[in-house]
Amino acid sequence: MSLFVRKQLPIIIASILGILMILAYFTTFDIFAQFKGIATSWVVIVSAVTVAMGFVYMTNAQIKMYQMNKTPLQLAYTLTTYVFFGAFMIAGLAYKGDVNSPEYQWWFQNIYGNVSATIYAVMYFTLASSAYRTFVISSIESEALVLGGMIYTLRQIPLFQVYMPWIVPLGEWFLLVPNVGGSRGAVIAAAFAALVVGIRTLWGKEVTLEVSS
Amino acid sequence: MIIIKTGTYLDLTLLIVLIVAMYYYNKVALAGKLPPLRTIPAIGAITEGVGKSIEENKPVHYAMGASGGQLYTQLLSMTLVALAFLNYISKLCAKYEAKLIVHMPYQAESIPLIEAMVRDGYKSEGKPELFDPGCLRYYGYGALTWTQSVTASYDTEGVGLNLSIGIFYSDCPISLEMAKIKGGLNVGGTGRWIMVYAFAMMCDYVFLGQEIYTAGAMVSENPLMLAGVFVEEVGKYFSYILLALGFIIATMGVSAVNAFFAL
Repeated sequence: MSLFVRKQLPIIIASILGILMILAYFTTFDIFAQFKGIATSWVVIVSAVTVAMGFVYMTNAQIKMYQMNKTPLQLAYTLTTYVFFGAFMIAGLAYKGDVNSPEYQWWFQNIYGNVSATIYAVMYFTLASSAYRTFVISSIESEALVLGGMIYTLRQIPLFQVYMPWIVPLGEWFLLVPNVGGSRGAVIAAAFAALVVGIRTLWGKEVTLEVSS
Repeated sequence: MIIIKTGTYLDLTLLIVLIVAMYYYNKVALAGKLPPLRTIPAIGAITEGVGKSIEENKPVHYAMGASGGQLYTQLLSMTLVALAFLNYISKLCAKYEAKLIVHMPYQAESIPLIEAMVRDGYKSEGKPELFDPGCLRYYGYGALTWTQSVTASYDTEGVGLNLSIGIFYSDCPISLEMAKIKGGLNVGGTGRWIMVYAFAMMCDYVFLGQEIYTAGAMVSENPLMLAGVFVEEVGKYFSYILLALGFIIATMGVSAVNAFFAL
């Protein structure tokens, strides 16, 4: 494959598609809006096609994990992945309504949904342990962090709302004034940085894309 | 006939200002006249972490987030930055011969880009034979499976350095804290401000919001990438001017200010 096809062509295609998307955003011409609709539906197609590639890589990862830890438990983990992959696939394809069928929805709600909820619940333990480590007073800044964090948290506990009612407006003030003021600046700065990366990509000067192609 | 949509005039002005600024700073960068940038401690910590991993005979983990492979959303820029860091950490691991494990996001369409970045990192250090395809781990769809698999990898294989940069949602508190518990050096950041708190709490060295873009440009050592940092500053000054104008006009009680900002 020539250097042009391998390196330049993908960047040119990306630039043209990006410019067409920008025209769809800024201009009133219907043709660009229609193009945006078509391109968006292509995204779904590309994602669906790459599922097969993901399956290959997932199998590779499963084999690697088993090779490193050749125990019956690890084998059970590996096999479980494929058993559930097959079960969800059958439930999604074999019944009328596909993924909207009651059978698939049962699997999704009662298995995937519950395991998701469990993982989210575990997240709060990790947050608690890291908060314990973070809220160690070692400087003026950490003292301010502890104070703000404590007031913000305690304002939601009914006991404090009853016996220390002043904590509620103070906590709200921390939330709405210093928090919003600081975070807006950070969000705007990050948005500008993202914009610059976008423009550089359209310009065909994004080094990351050059390397990857 | 109106060609430009109402409500996008200010956006378009900003876009034009940034394009002009980029053209100017690209020229300045290519002439080698860009002003120096301050150092970011977290960049140095990455090399330190690779050294720690070698000393402890543990792998270097790189994570872009469970959904860090977004190529067609507004968060694409963060995916590109994460890929730049992946290339950087691959080079470091190739240079010092540390073991690298890449936890890939569930967007399978980003896999070719990820693999190319890692391969290029090893190749540019002159050690393509050290690249092991088994270091690229894909765990299927969803933050749920990603989080469990990544933490399992930390547990069974150990963590020397855990570099986490990219698009993170609620997947990062569990993975970062587990890496910490297993004795890893956590270095990371995200441009999603809402999740920066987790990185600030759990990382030993953190890139705060916009810093990931600046650091991405710095590790690439490419003048055009570095020029982008100065273009961002132009955008910030543009917003300061708008802020000041809006403040003055609103204080004067001119009702047209709302119409102006609605343009």
